[in-house]
Amino acid sequence: MDTVIDAHDVSKIYNRETIPVYAVNNVHLHIEKGEFTALVGPSGSGKTTLLNLIGGLDKPDNGNVFINDLDITKLSANELIDFRLKNIGFVFQSFNLIPVLTAKENVEFIMLLQGVKKSIRDARVKQLFRQIEMDDKVDIRPAQLSGGQQQRVAVARALASKPKFVLADEPTANLDSKSASNLLDIMAKLNKEEHITFLFSTHDQRVIERARRVITLVDGRIVSDTAAVSTKHEKVDV
Amino acid sequence: MILIMAWRNIWRNKMRSIIIISSIAIGLFAGISVLALYKGMMKSRIHNVIDSEVGHLQIHNINFKKDYDPQFILANGAEVLKVVNKIPEVKLAASRSITMGMLATPTGSAGVQINGIIPGLEYQLSQLQKKIIKGNPFDPAKENEIMVGQKLARKMKLKLRSKLVLTFTDTSGTMVSSAFRVAAIYQSDNAPLDEKNVYVNIDELNVLLGIQNSFHEIVILLKNDTDLAKAKQELQQKFSGYQIESWKEISPETDLLVKTVDQYSYIIMFIIMFALAFGIVNTMLMAILERTREIGMMVALGMNRLKIFLLIFLETIFLTLGGTPLGIFIGWVTTAYFNKHGLNLSGMGREMMSSFGFGTMIYPEFPTDKISGVLLIVIGTALISCLFPAIKALKLQPVEALRR
Repeated sequence: MDTVIDAHDVSKIYNRETIPVYAVNNVHLHIEKGEFTALVGPSGSGKTTLLNLIGGLDKPDNGNVFINDLDITKLSANELIDFRLKNIGFVFQSFNLIPVLTAKENVEFIMLLQGVKKSIRDARVKQLFRQIEMDDKVDIRPAQLSGGQQQRVAVARALASKPKFVLADEPTANLDSKSASNLLDIMAKLNKEEHITFLFSTHDQRVIERARRVITLVDGRIVSDTAAVSTKHEKVDV
Repeated sequence: MILIMAWRNIWRNKMRSIIIISSIAIGLFAGISVLALYKGMMKSRIHNVIDSEVGHLQIHNINFKKDYDPQFILANGAEVLKVVNKIPEVKLAASRSITMGMLATPTGSAGVQINGIIPGLEYQLSQLQKKIIKGNPFDPAKENEIMVGQKLARKMKLKLRSKLVLTFTDTSGTMVSSAFRVAAIYQSDNAPLDEKNVYVNIDELNVLLGIQNSFHEIVILLKNDTDLAKAKQELQQKFSGYQIESWKEISPETDLLVKTVDQYSYIIMFIIMFALAFGIVNTMLMAILERTREIGMMVALGMNRLKIFLLIFLETIFLTLGGTPLGIFIGWVTTAYFNKHGLNLSGMGREMMSSFGFGTMIYPEFPTDKISGVLLIVIGTALISCLFPAIKALKLQPVEALRR
């Protein structure tokens, strides 16, 4: 299998000058292409911080993050923006769609930034809206969509440009159980159909049950990993 | 897409955007009104100078204006006048005899420029008849009549039919005095000139000066202002030994005033837009603060800093240019109205206005020639106004912005 994400001894420390707090503490993480992985743990365990480090939204104080063998911790802020655009799809906790754009325009947004041709964009948007079962909502603005629908559009946006992997930070946190289940079905379907790697943080039991691999974080450290696969890096306890 | 986002973003808070667009429209309207008023005033001033004071062109003996010595008459003046009248661009030409002298009354005396005129021609050329506020034009049946300006009349306590004595030197240098009676008191739009100039019949002055049918000055009115350079060049070619001057050389202060006011009008426009820039900056800062999380999310998704800057710049441009057509339109309508009906500034005092050489009725003119400059100032204002909010947005770290 191809390695997509490879985190080496990654740490993120807050309040270094006063009382240091390890948000992420010497984490080794290895994610292969096509995985559908949940990062779980209690609040404050470092799930979002780890996702931010993997997504190039933040820089670690120690360690390196390799995406497809490229060390993104060495990239400048501008290079990181470009890297994220071309390689990573994001789904945020509180939907974060652009309110002035319609659902279709939101999904097109990344492809437009990438300079993808209109014909290709249109075809991809049509395909994604069919996959998220929202063909009839393409021209509606986010404010007129339900939370679940908004999050499905956010997932479609994350997948629009066929990124190397999708990072989803608590994607079901603001959804009712039906919407959450629906969203998980869609994410699982897209993972299967598009072979896109999903790494999502959650403490939602329904999400954990659907994940094929579950990594548990406590106090910034990985305390368990259901994958139980050995990697060339540190093997964690299951 | 960025264009669409920018346009839709400015309408997210309709009231705020409408207020800023309206204030830009009002500011532009005010600026254009000032420009139009200045243009009208300057045009009126130039036409006062040309039509009521010095004409488009003047011809003198080359030595005359050094000391206004009456011996320096215009050689072959009658012939020159004939040729001048044949030039197609010339509407009207009139001769004047001029000398400097002393006006004396029982209560005092004042230095004046004594202008000997051919009444019929002068009434057409400098509108002298129309400026009379008391008395009547020269009566051919009466001798030694004089017209004095209101300011001089007040200063010297002169009334209609008052007697005064003019003293000056003739061409031989002999002192000559003669008594005149005030036939009329005139008031032009240039009080300093009213105080200095008196008008008498050219024949009577010529007798006293001893220059018979000669004269010192030919004043020329052209059919069109635009013919000035051409007519001057033609005269210079025909009369190379004479001093030929345009109104810009005779009244350099007017030319300077026009140029200075041109610059002032841009400064006023700049000040108005500078004040408005604070409103725009405030609005844009509010918009950025409200959208911190959204901007952070866009950067997280991969929207680069140039596109973020472009988005904010376009929003500022839309806000600024949104009010521009409205401001220009209101300015144009208002100017057109007052251009037709005139703007009466007599409330500011005729004396005050005339002391600067302006009439009280101004006809503002839409400053078409300055609109491109105004638009440049507006776009410049938008560009400068967007810088601070844009820098603020560009400094946002996506991870911090997303936490908000």
